[in-house]
Amino acid sequence: MKQLFRNITLVAVALMLTTTACDDGFAELNTNPNAAIEINPNFQFSWIQLRTSGERYENWRAVLIYSSTMMQHLATTCGYWSGDKYFYNAGYSSSLFDRQYTQAVKDIQDLIATLESGAAGDQTMLGMARIWRTVIFHRLTDIYGDIPYSEAGKGFIEGIDFPVFDSQEFIYKDMLKELEEGIAQISDEGGFGSADFLYGGDPAKWRRFGYSMMLRLGMRMSEVDPAEAQKWVEKAIQGGTLQPGEDAFIEHTNGPEGINRNGIGEVLDLTNGSAGEGCPRLSATFVNWMKDHNDPRLDIIGTLPVNGTEHNGMPNGLDTETLLDNPTGTSADDFSTVNQAIVKVSSPMMFLTVAESELLLAEAAVRGWHSGSAQQHYENGIRAAMKNWERFDASIVVEDAVIDQYLADNPFDEANAMQQIGEQYWAATFLNEYETFSNWRRTGYPELTPVDYPNNVTGGTIPVRLVLPQGELGVNPNMQEALNRQSLGTSFPDHFTVPVWWDK
Amino acid sequence: MSKKLLTTLCFAMLLAFPLVAQQTVTGTVTSDGESLIGVNIIEKGTSNGVLTDLDGNYSIKVGEDATLVFSYTGYETQEVAVGSQTKIDVQLSAGVNLDEVVVTALGIQKEKKALTYSVSEVDPAGFAEAREMNVVNSLSGKVAGVNVSTTATGAAGSSRVVIRGNNSLSGTNQPLYVVDGIPIDNTNLGSAGMWGGSDGGDGISSINPEDIESISVLKGASAAALYGYRSANGVVLINTKSGSKRKGIGVEFNTSVRTESLINTYDFQREYGHGRNGTAPTTVDQALEEQLYAWGEPLDGNRNVMQFDGVERPYGDAGDNIGRFYETGLTFINTLTLTGGSDKVNFRFSASNLDNSDIMPNSGLTRRNFSLRTNAQLSDRLSATVSAMYVSELADNRPRLSDSPGNANYTAWSLPATINVETLEGDPDKLGAGADGTELQFNDNVFVTNPYWAAHQFDNDSKKDRLMGKVQLRYDIVGGLYARGRMGLDRFTNRTRNLTPYGTAYSPRGQLSEGQREVQELNTELLLGYDQDLTDNITLSLFAGGNQQRNFSESIGGSGNNFNIPFLHAIGNLQNQSVNYGFSEWQVNSLFGSAEVGLMRAIYLNGTYRNDWFSTLTSPVEGAEGDNNQGYYSAGVSAVLSDLLVMPRTIDFLKLRASYATGSGPGVAASPYQLNLTYGIFGQGHLGQALGGITNGSIPNSNLIPLLTKEIEFGLDMRMFTGRLGIDLTYYDRTTENDIISAAVSSTSGFGSKIVNLGEMSNKGIELLVTGTPIKTQDFSWDINLNYAYNDNQVISLLDPENDEESIRGGESRTRSAYIEHVEGLPYSQVAGFAYVRDEAGEIVLDDNGLPQQGEFTHFGTGVAPTMVGFGSTFRYKNFSLNFLIDSRWGGKIYSATNAFAYLRGLHKETLEGRETGIGSIPAEEVEDYYGRIYSITEQFVYDADYIKLRQIQFTYNLPSSVIANLPISGLNIGIGARNVGILYSAADNIDPESTYNVGNAQGLEMFGVPATRSVQFNLGVRF
Repeated sequence: MKQLFRNITLVAVALMLTTTACDDGFAELNTNPNAAIEINPNFQFSWIQLRTSGERYENWRAVLIYSSTMMQHLATTCGYWSGDKYFYNAGYSSSLFDRQYTQAVKDIQDLIATLESGAAGDQTMLGMARIWRTVIFHRLTDIYGDIPYSEAGKGFIEGIDFPVFDSQEFIYKDMLKELEEGIAQISDEGGFGSADFLYGGDPAKWRRFGYSMMLRLGMRMSEVDPAEAQKWVEKAIQGGTLQPGEDAFIEHTNGPEGINRNGIGEVLDLTNGSAGEGCPRLSATFVNWMKDHNDPRLDIIGTLPVNGTEHNGMPNGLDTETLLDNPTGTSADDFSTVNQAIVKVSSPMMFLTVAESELLLAEAAVRGWHSGSAQQHYENGIRAAMKNWERFDASIVVEDAVIDQYLADNPFDEANAMQQIGEQYWAATFLNEYETFSNWRRTGYPELTPVDYPNNVTGGTIPVRLVLPQGELGVNPNMQEALNRQSLGTSFPDHFTVPVWWDK
Repeated sequence: MSKKLLTTLCFAMLLAFPLVAQQTVTGTVTSDGESLIGVNIIEKGTSNGVLTDLDGNYSIKVGEDATLVFSYTGYETQEVAVGSQTKIDVQLSAGVNLDEVVVTALGIQKEKKALTYSVSEVDPAGFAEAREMNVVNSLSGKVAGVNVSTTATGAAGSSRVVIRGNNSLSGTNQPLYVVDGIPIDNTNLGSAGMWGGSDGGDGISSINPEDIESISVLKGASAAALYGYRSANGVVLINTKSGSKRKGIGVEFNTSVRTESLINTYDFQREYGHGRNGTAPTTVDQALEEQLYAWGEPLDGNRNVMQFDGVERPYGDAGDNIGRFYETGLTFINTLTLTGGSDKVNFRFSASNLDNSDIMPNSGLTRRNFSLRTNAQLSDRLSATVSAMYVSELADNRPRLSDSPGNANYTAWSLPATINVETLEGDPDKLGAGADGTELQFNDNVFVTNPYWAAHQFDNDSKKDRLMGKVQLRYDIVGGLYARGRMGLDRFTNRTRNLTPYGTAYSPRGQLSEGQREVQELNTELLLGYDQDLTDNITLSLFAGGNQQRNFSESIGGSGNNFNIPFLHAIGNLQNQSVNYGFSEWQVNSLFGSAEVGLMRAIYLNGTYRNDWFSTLTSPVEGAEGDNNQGYYSAGVSAVLSDLLVMPRTIDFLKLRASYATGSGPGVAASPYQLNLTYGIFGQGHLGQALGGITNGSIPNSNLIPLLTKEIEFGLDMRMFTGRLGIDLTYYDRTTENDIISAAVSSTSGFGSKIVNLGEMSNKGIELLVTGTPIKTQDFSWDINLNYAYNDNQVISLLDPENDEESIRGGESRTRSAYIEHVEGLPYSQVAGFAYVRDEAGEIVLDDNGLPQQGEFTHFGTGVAPTMVGFGSTFRYKNFSLNFLIDSRWGGKIYSATNAFAYLRGLHKETLEGRETGIGSIPAEEVEDYYGRIYSITEQFVYDADYIKLRQIQFTYNLPSSVIANLPISGLNIGIGARNVGILYSAADNIDPESTYNVGNAQGLEMFGVPATRSVQFNLGVRF
């Protein structure tokens, strides 16, 4: 018996002694064979740019369903296009916020941290990345007001799980500083090269892009803080903004993945993998404005109605029942649709065009912040806006003579300059609806007549922001403070009518 | 051995109905001179059995060298070797069988009275005869503390089994399943979520109920302690049948037919037809927009009204769409079993075919099980068991659930009274299609799919081939010293195909995904044991050993969208094609030991220890912090007071027990590659550039450790009145620490969640099992079984010291106004959302437009019922037996998105109010705005999920032995069983309260699942 116990004890001890070997090879086993622990900054920057262009998800909801209809570029009788009639759909409204932080912000912050640490890349890359970060964030704050900014996207890098919501004022001032410092970091050495879809890594174009961004952001403050706005606008002009042909856009392709495709095209391209979104028509406001100005873009942007030989815009705010009483057409087929050639899945996605930049310069000149000729910039802007459509399809050619004729028909009028510039900006940013929405709120042009559909949530006024995700309030304890700060109450649908900081 | 085995096997195969050498044994069973009726007589090791008749007589055909087992409630079981006898009279003595042996952790057999913890044995009788498609559903209501939730996912769906409450907020809460000592995979292969999806089935459903000999449920941490990191959720031990010594081959054939019909729980309004704003549509455009809304005019069958296809049809009650759309489910099950054996070797082989068509049209399941188990005594000291199960499973068109795209249920349930679902059928040769072969769209929302198109043109198939095998050797070294080694493999390949066909409205050119996944778990275990009676009064049982578990999973697939050639649904025909690949591998090494000392065969002390090392917690980054191993222990004592003290005569047996154990659940230990930030390449690049970025969706954490549970358990086991009454009572108190929480972080952090060891949870509860035999006469007996379990669960802490977090979001409903949250201080899985705005008197406050308002964010209660009561009863009269089982749940909540949509669409009966008169300041034609607003007010659609269900009725008739004696068979039974016979009580409108759509940690959400069904099974078994 004793012998037996000894044997058992021996075996047990022998087993215990092997414990040091109980995790042999585990570190290797726990190394993911399909993932890396570092990444080439080029790969990551390309990825981030595409993520900023976005997916069908937010382009459908925030861009098309809300912004494009509120801005009366498009109109529809489909009930779920909430923006057309100022209804509140929580998920649609928060879609840009819901997607951009996990998709673009996460990687841009990681990339910038890597570049700042010097572990990879160079200073030119860092400068470009910092400029791109403002591209991502300015849209978010323009659409939603106060948002997580300084602490956003740092869940891993700095262990921040619940970023504070920074005030829009703070964000704007920081973004402008970032643009200035970022531009300064761009030298003729290094950069992302062809991994940069915007300019193939061209440092001079990037600096001009940076200054045009500075112009856009500076001008955004024209009403709330004119002195500060003027300071930045002047700085941007001095630095030098985008030259003809230097539109900031990303080329998209037919696939293979969703991310390769233009998010708007994925919705509206009826031939190519969309959900067959047949709802939208060109808005009567937009069509009539183009008709009134004898605008050659009408035939580029629109396709003639199924029933008709003339363009016809659909009035906003109708449903299938009220449509029956509409004098300009009672069936969806009576109205012009968006030309398929400009909403292909392979269409380019515009971020900042020369047209916008020039029109802002025209405004700066009108305001006396710029010594250049307002008329010249105005005409440059229109010329660039028309030419820009040639990027969308080989079938689209805009002859200079046609543009000249348009300019002759619609001469710059100093007395109505702000209105003219605002309306042209509105026309030039069709499909870049985030920008349309922002500039309309700042300038009030064009003067849109709101619709007043029964039981809309804004009391018949066009929303002046999109509503933050309600779910975030339950998760992030810092959100309540931001709501209080902006006088946003407990009823989320009411937020639509509360202007953001720069919207005075 | 193998040669002998092969020979035997071949013999069995070649002669499906061989000449069986059988002998007939007859006799009488008595007690104290009185004959006993209904005594159960079984040929040991087989399912061959008969009952004694009125006069205590029996007749049974047995193989040679058979042993008969005579058992009768309240009497001691007797075994008699038949030998050459043809007449065996038996006297049973009243008493209680106290020397029962049960299978415990790692397959070690123990005397029941020595157990220091609760082990519940489940009688598998009826599992095969009143069958559930997933065998674990048969446990529902049978074992105190075992909570089986079925889901509304169709015949091939998963189940959720939780024992003694939920331990973890993020990891699985389901038990470990062990078949003949080998852990098997129970991964849920896909679940529906807020955006839809379907259930991919689980692992345990592969087991054929007819192969099951017994099931032991190790409920607590003490019972399961030797399973270490897999112990916390309990363990279900399934032991399969084996053969026994007999002459020739025993043949048994069972055939069943099972029909399934839906239980129509829907009671929608049938007074107003399709339309909006109180008017019926007049144009096709309007009809398309309004076809899904019942806000039209009062029904009037004499009037024709426009429908989506431009046809005007009578505006009357179009009848029962649910009955029209769903079919009667039909299942055929045939099983052939062969058994045989000699002194040294025995075997059991079974082959079973199950062929099911679900109530969802064009949906069903085919399952073939083959199982072979052989036991061999290779020498005096060496014995071996070799077993294998092969399962081939084909799930045809698993139904889509929750959100509307591709979900036939969504539309089938929610058409207004004036619409006949058959008008959506379209082309009879291609159901759901219009003239051009694409989806016949019947409404203007492309995402609400035509139900016929969804059911007949979509594909969502999976084919699973699974092999479970085991080799075990045991060598008795000397005295009570033995060594046991075994290897067990569970490997399956799951092939899936998911087609959104060309011409689907929301995806006009279609999508296809083809995938294959291989999953494997291999366990190798070595154990050295020693059992000895040191003196008459001191017994000793020791063992120690080690286990290595290696898991591997690899998936490869292709997917894409936009078919180039219309209707050619081939992967090569896709315009955009992507390749998907996934791989993971991990290992756990373990050492364990156990010691048990028995004193006076009445007091038992028991202790175990196990240490696990995890590859998943070993950081690949050098110098990273964090432990990669954890130890678990248990200690317990039991005292059989009835053997130690003088007891009143009425008490046959009284035992008290206490135990304490630590344990853990798989969670992070089963998730490799989570400790560091990783980057990957996405897609196939863009314009020649590679795309790369962070792959982690959660913030990684290199300091993770597995959760730890600590459980104390007290129990009492008493039997009285010569076994007529039994009481088994358990109290337990368990806490979970360091629960791995995929803590919700703000998505603005860049990540959806963060993996941290923060959770603390507590489960306290009691389990009571009362068994009784109130009536027992010569002809008639009545047995009852009552089980009751109450579990008090509380989330103790989610506290992140930095952020003062108080709740974690576990899920969200498609309506986006209801959530599942885990909240500090409240039970797990709270159904949460918005209450009405109310004044101080509790009256609903309307806004300026006269509409109700979304008020405070509220936690309405837990989605997991804390109280379960099951009541079963068996009546036996002569050769007839009837049993039923009633199962109930109390105290849980469910959020019904189905009812929310029924408000939005005007289908709910409660939306009838105000249609003629208006509501407050809302005019009659705008009441849909009023009810549409309520759609977003969660409170209205949170129901008590309490229910009482008549879970099972089963009727069996065994052909009397006197009749069998004249037939060329040795036994025949006929049975009729019904499952889910009826919902006796439910507090929820329109839905079955047991109809959540997933098995994860977001319990309490419902939306457009497959309707509940009632099944009736006819069963015939013949033995030769």
